[in-house]
Amino acid sequence: MGGKVTCTLGEVKQRADFIIYWGGNPAECHPRHFTKYTIMQKSKFLPRGRKDRTMVLVDIRETKSVKAADIFLQVKPGKDFELITILRALVKDQAVSDEQIAETGLTREVLDDLVQRMKAAKFGCLFFGMGLSMTRGKHMNSAALLTLAAEMNAFTKFVAMPMRGHGNVTGADVIMRWQTGYPFGISFNRGYPRYNPGEFSTVDVLVRGDCDAAFIIGADPGATMPQPAINHLKRIPTIVLDPHVTHTSRLARVHITTAAQGIGAGGTAYRMDEIPMPLKPALKSPYPTDEYVVRRLNEAVAAKPFWLPEGKVPPMLTAQV
Amino acid sequence: MTLQVIDNATCTFCGCVCDDIQLHHDETRIHQAKRACVLGTAWFLNHTAERKYPDALIDGREAPLDEAIELAATLLHEADMPLIYGMSNTTCEAQKECAALADQLGALLDSHTSL
Repeated sequence: MGGKVTCTLGEVKQRADFIIYWGGNPAECHPRHFTKYTIMQKSKFLPRGRKDRTMVLVDIRETKSVKAADIFLQVKPGKDFELITILRALVKDQAVSDEQIAETGLTREVLDDLVQRMKAAKFGCLFFGMGLSMTRGKHMNSAALLTLAAEMNAFTKFVAMPMRGHGNVTGADVIMRWQTGYPFGISFNRGYPRYNPGEFSTVDVLVRGDCDAAFIIGADPGATMPQPAINHLKRIPTIVLDPHVTHTSRLARVHITTAAQGIGAGGTAYRMDEIPMPLKPALKSPYPTDEYVVRRLNEAVAAKPFWLPEGKVPPMLTAQV
Repeated sequence: MTLQVIDNATCTFCGCVCDDIQLHHDETRIHQAKRACVLGTAWFLNHTAERKYPDALIDGREAPLDEAIELAATLLHEADMPLIYGMSNTTCEAQKECAALADQLGALLDSHTSL
C-alpha cells in the first residue's frame, strides 16, 4: 500500500460514516462511486444508508458533486496545503490565527465544526483527486492529507484513498512497486532501479529533452502534455502502442495497434483501492494484445548486444548475493 | 440476431473498475452495457472488433506488425536514454513486460501517476 493509511472500498461501503472528497468531482468523473461504495449503500453498520453518512466536499468551485454533499467547503485555489495544515493544527488544539484561516477562504466556525465532526465519526475516509494532487504543492498536498488521515487515528479510525482516474493506473503503481520497489519515476540507467520524481518523471524528462527515444503504451501524451514535452516527442523516435491512432501516434515513428484492455484483451486491472480484478473481454479483437507485443519487443531487444559499450552484461548485475 | 450476454464484465474506463457490468454483444460490437455509467457505456460501445486501423504504421505508412516490432526494438536499443511511459490503459501483464523492457534497456520507466 506504499505506507499510506488506507482501506478497501468494501470497508468504506460497510463502515464509513464520514466521507470527505477533496479536489475531485466524482459525480462526473467516477459516476458510480457514490452509489456503489461511499454514500448511498446500506450496510450492517450503517443500516439507514445515506442518512447514516455525512459527506463533505472540498473544492475550489461548485461542481455537480456539490448536490450530493452535506457540507461544501470552497477553498481558495492553491490554498489546499494551507487548509490541510490548519486542520492538522486544529485537530491537535494548536493555535491558528484568524489571518491564516482567512487566507484559505473559509471561516473558523466552519473549520471547528469540520474538526469536531471528523473526531466524532466512527470511520472517516478522505478521498483526494487531481484537484489536490495536481495543483500548487502537488505531491506535498497528497503527503499532507495522508498525514492528516494518519494523525486523525489518535481520535478515531480514519483513512485516505486517492481517486485514481484512467483505468489501470493503480495497476501500474502496483506492478512497478512489485518489480522495482518504486511506484513511478524510475531510472534503470545504472543497471538497477533508482527513484527520483522530478528527475525521472516524464514531463520533466521531456521538457528538458533528456531522453532520446520514447515508448508510449496506453497513454496519449500528445493530447495531454505541455507543448515543450510534445515538441521533444516529435524530435526523438517515438513508438506508440494503442487501440486507436492517437495524437501521439501521428507524431510517432512507429505506431502499433493493439487490442483494448477489457474489451478485446484479457488480463488483470487494479481498482483504485488496489484490489486486482480479472478482465472479461467480450470481443475477439483482430489486433494483438499489449502483452504480446511488448513480449515480442523484449525478445527482439534480448537478441541484440547488451546496451553497455562492451555489449556484455556486467557480472555485478547478474551476481547473486 | 440474438446477442450474446456476458455477466459481471469489468469496466476499465476509470479507477472504479466496476466488475458488475452486463454486456450484450454480437462478436463485432457491444450493443448494451447494463449497469455501466455514462462513461463506461461510452467506453464499451465505442470499441469494436472491426479492423478500423492498420496493424502498424511506420513514419505514417502502413506496415506489417513484425517489421514495426523489429524497428521499435532497434530504435529503443540504439537510444542512450529511452523512456517508457504510460501503462494506464493496459493490463498488469503488459505492465510487467514493460518493467522488464525498461530493465533490459536501462531505460526510464514512468506512469501517469507522475503527471
